[in-house]
Amino acid sequence: MSSENLHLEGASFLKQQNEGLYEPAGSKATGEAAVRSTDKNRVITGAIPYWQDWREQARDIKRYTVANLDKLLVEFERNITARGATVLWAETAEEANRMVIDIAREHNIRSVVKGKSMVTEEMELNHSFQAAGIRAVETDLGEYIVQLAKQRPTHIVTPALHLSAEEVGRLFHEKLDEPFTSEHQQLTDIARRHLREEFISADMGMSGCNFAIADTGTMAIVENEGNVGLSTSTPPIHVATIGIEKVIPSIHYLPVFLQLLARVGTGQSLTSYTHLIHGTTPGKKLYIILLDNGRTRILRDPAAHNALTCIRCGMCLNVCPVYRRAGGWAYGWVYPGPIGSIISPHLVGMKQAGMLPFASSLCGACSEVCPVKIDIPHQLVHLRHRAVCEPSPANSILDRLTWRAWAWAMSGPRRYKLAMWAVRIGVRAAGVIPRCLHVDKLRAWTRGRELPKVPGPAFRKWWKRERQ
Amino acid sequence: MSSRDNILQRIRTELQKAPAPEQPPVPEVWPRVNPSSEQLVEQFTTALEQVDGEVIRCGSMDEARRKVTELAEQLDAKPVGAVDCPACRDLLSDFPADRVAWTRDGWDPKQMAQLPAGLVAAELLLADTGTCVVVNDTAEQRLMCYLPPVCLVVAQVDRLVEHMPAAWEEIARRTAEPQQRGEFVFITGPSRTADIEKILILGVHGPRRLLVILVG
Repeated sequence: MSSENLHLEGASFLKQQNEGLYEPAGSKATGEAAVRSTDKNRVITGAIPYWQDWREQARDIKRYTVANLDKLLVEFERNITARGATVLWAETAEEANRMVIDIAREHNIRSVVKGKSMVTEEMELNHSFQAAGIRAVETDLGEYIVQLAKQRPTHIVTPALHLSAEEVGRLFHEKLDEPFTSEHQQLTDIARRHLREEFISADMGMSGCNFAIADTGTMAIVENEGNVGLSTSTPPIHVATIGIEKVIPSIHYLPVFLQLLARVGTGQSLTSYTHLIHGTTPGKKLYIILLDNGRTRILRDPAAHNALTCIRCGMCLNVCPVYRRAGGWAYGWVYPGPIGSIISPHLVGMKQAGMLPFASSLCGACSEVCPVKIDIPHQLVHLRHRAVCEPSPANSILDRLTWRAWAWAMSGPRRYKLAMWAVRIGVRAAGVIPRCLHVDKLRAWTRGRELPKVPGPAFRKWWKRERQ
Repeated sequence: MSSRDNILQRIRTELQKAPAPEQPPVPEVWPRVNPSSEQLVEQFTTALEQVDGEVIRCGSMDEARRKVTELAEQLDAKPVGAVDCPACRDLLSDFPADRVAWTRDGWDPKQMAQLPAGLVAAELLLADTGTCVVVNDTAEQRLMCYLPPVCLVVAQVDRLVEHMPAAWEEIARRTAEPQQRGEFVFITGPSRTADIEKILILGVHGPRRLLVILVG
């Protein structure tokens, strides 16, 4: 899949789902890695007697946070401003992009190093940097690989999950002019060497934020590579982009989240680095951009509030049978997997992402592992309901007509008999039509499937005969 | 109206419709068992080795000074970078002046990246995870943790606590101090990645080795 058709296309799930399904190498790597993560997670969390208590505690804290979001955001703003930061608020991704570019222009920035941030993926910030003629380099190894390949991340924690070491080796050979290797250590060394130069020469560093702590004005950021440490301390300017739902009320609540996040996110008891950043250091500037970008739309739907409690650990992706098979791009937007299916419809709208809630077997594996106990299957059913009531791809004229016809056929024995007769004819006829003549919409469905054989005589006929 | 007002207004309007839950109590997370100092050292060492860190146990400051001199020889660290704080000054007091590069304001990251090793001091150690809590007031101190390929951390045994919740009272109190700037960083092992095929590799951007000099 080229980067062009990944560029903010919204979530045209059905079209892209096929891409994922028909790329065996990509989705095999994704599936295997996801299975490994799930197994590891089961062992780690199973060994902790307090695990279920932590999940409930974290859920309650996050729900309290959502219910007090306005007060907590203002408190966070006040406290981190007192520590020397400048806080900006952005309603949309475009506005946030403008703010970042304005900051960069004001300080004559030529190059930027970026720590991993899903919010900047959501903003498509790299496109804005490119348009402004500013060099922006992703420094998380996975993000760096994906950026070099001109792709999008397929996982929110391990962005290059879909690429094999050989593919990365070829990519480094092609783009960085390095001799080919598929050795993990050598590949990592190559990235280290190239990115060292970037860190040292950058004028501005960017990061996301895992928890914005209101009562102290602290940003908690977890990472393993050290690139967030470097991105936020080497250049003279640090810009952090934070989704407004990332705030938590108090520093006293942080330990329970740190215990949960590292274990579910990467299977560690703590990540290599957990940074608690309180404002600026001497001679440096810190800007914080608080981004809404559709999050307040989630608040408008009281049944959906829990979607705002997500801490972006990525575990629901790993356990999801649909994600494992279809991969991250199939979801059409930056947040894949079950969590993407419940937040994208709110953030980009039902019209674009209305099919996502249907891409689930409602097996419930996601909510069983979710560290903040989000009721994902319930959210999916709720969104399915909304999708068929509101303008969305699940509410097309064809869909409406189909369901109306079905309701008509099922409401009387004669109608039912007539409908079944039509179906038998239809299925026989469809089997005769060559595949190349199928219309696009139909082909998406028939490409990987065989039509069922029309069974012998109908039950009604058989019943009649038996009774005689 | 500014974007700030718009966002806050939208949140307030929507939240009025929903009932507000009670503020939850602070979770205990892990119970306290108050192990002995030797148990803590053992636990810390095991945990740190599990995440590929190394512990150098020293009975006294004199022993620590000897060991760090040997270590600097081994690493061919000329000079050793070090954060300018009492604990590091004390540890490196035997070093000739030209063998130590003390952090200075406005230090060039390019120079710092050339240092073969950097010494920082931990204020707290968490035994269950093998974590060093380092307080960095300046960007140069922060870089000392991340730029050199070997990170040396000096800490006193009496700064060991059993787990994060046991350390939290002190951390929460210090983070709440209004004059506190910079960062508290929890370092648990050297820099690592599993971004390619989920295979673990050490030392991607930060240090490849983490050695904790545990004194007392």
